[in-house]
Amino acid sequence: MSCKEVRDLIPLYLYGELGFDEEERVEQHLASCAECNAERARCERLTALLEQGEADVSAQLLARCRRDLAAALEKERKGRSWSGAVRRLWSRWVVSPPMWARPAGAVAMLALGFFGARMVPEDAPVLGPLARSGAPAVVGKVRFVDTTSRGEVRVQYEEIRPRELRGTFQDERIQRLLLAAANDPADPGVRVESIDLLKYRTANAEVRRALINALQTDDNPGVRLKALEALRPYARDTETRQALAQVLLADKHAAVRLAAVEMLADVQEPDVAGALQQLLHREEDQYIRQRTLKALAAMKASYGTF
Amino acid sequence: MDEAATIRAAQSGDADAFERLVRSYDQQVLRLAMNLLRNAEDAQDVYQETFLRVFRNLGNFRFDCQFSTWLYRIATNLCLDLLRKRKVRRTEPAAVETEDGVLDRLEAVSEARPAGDPQRAALNRELRSWIEQALAGLTPRERLVFELRHYQGMRLKEIGEALGSSEEAAKNCLFRATQKMRQALGEFL
Repeated sequence: MSCKEVRDLIPLYLYGELGFDEEERVEQHLASCAECNAERARCERLTALLEQGEADVSAQLLARCRRDLAAALEKERKGRSWSGAVRRLWSRWVVSPPMWARPAGAVAMLALGFFGARMVPEDAPVLGPLARSGAPAVVGKVRFVDTTSRGEVRVQYEEIRPRELRGTFQDERIQRLLLAAANDPADPGVRVESIDLLKYRTANAEVRRALINALQTDDNPGVRLKALEALRPYARDTETRQALAQVLLADKHAAVRLAAVEMLADVQEPDVAGALQQLLHREEDQYIRQRTLKALAAMKASYGTF
Repeated sequence: MDEAATIRAAQSGDADAFERLVRSYDQQVLRLAMNLLRNAEDAQDVYQETFLRVFRNLGNFRFDCQFSTWLYRIATNLCLDLLRKRKVRRTEPAAVETEDGVLDRLEAVSEARPAGDPQRAALNRELRSWIEQALAGLTPRERLVFELRHYQGMRLKEIGEALGSSEEAAKNCLFRATQKMRQALGEFL
């Protein structure tokens, strides 16, 4: 295989998209060609560089998309059930009504038109009671469906009803709900907003634990950054400091690691210096490395060997 | 419940099952649309239209391909249409107006970020602008294949299926895209 052929194949090789034989030939060539190896290193750098071009999806945008989609789906479902029901009724009673009902139906429609026009006031609030009935409940889960001995259909289901609670931060129920919302796996938007409110309650150890948990385990980097910011006043606190050190070494998102470096840079403790030195061993992001070196220099900690 | 069972439940009208399907894929769909269109509003439109089409046509899904392939086919077609019709400008400003104020499209998470130092911000802006320009130099198909392989991690075979094309055609597209990116970003390597 010539150098040109190998260089053309390197991007596909790095993506793991070559067939077995082709990959084997590329590897054999790379083992003995320094120039092609340098090209491979350049392509790897290109891959790393392009990681910075990826658009992060903010938790807020995702929450907005989900909210709008839920509303659009609700509309679709209503349209479907209405049009389905009307179609069925129309077909059963108007298009092909049973023979016995035809004369009765004709008389009934005439009567309805005649009396209806006289009895219904022009501004009758036909939908009034429905509109006043408050937030509608949503069918959560149907537990079972069967028929009774009298031929009725029986459906047992759970109902989900939206409720609202208002109160101050001192209200224990509000605090409990905020803590639950900060861990709500369904919606990162709600988690971000809850953490934003909980940052005013970090004096409470339970709140700090919830924030540390979000910082270490939430799969959304936007939520982790919010939790990290909320913990800023407690950066010197042992538990928080340990969590930040763990984030430094384990978080996959460069922005979170960088924020952790910047927060720890002000904490002049030996264990922090140790964590920053460890970070230098593995960190590939050049900017984070620079910030780490600067922080270590400010702490007068060694960094020359990294 | 495995995915096939969830799909069947959603096909029979189970709203929870449909919601579960949406939640399994919606972040990927939104990221795909954001990466390709670089505009939160367009990405939101694609997100909504994709899942509405899935909702309307789920009854016709016959399990003759992966659900994700079918879903990506819908989402990528919508993105391609937008890329072609709206003729996305070659270089777009890094920030966009949204209902929440000015949003950095490439770094949407920045709204939750601590203020970085200005030197770093300038460096990142320059680099991102180069990457933007390099991406804008790709044709819509090259951009799509590059996006699906590089950022979404899909195999070329799946990409071919999702685009209603062959693995070979996807491979050629990816090859051209990486060559162009390599050329455009050469000075950073």
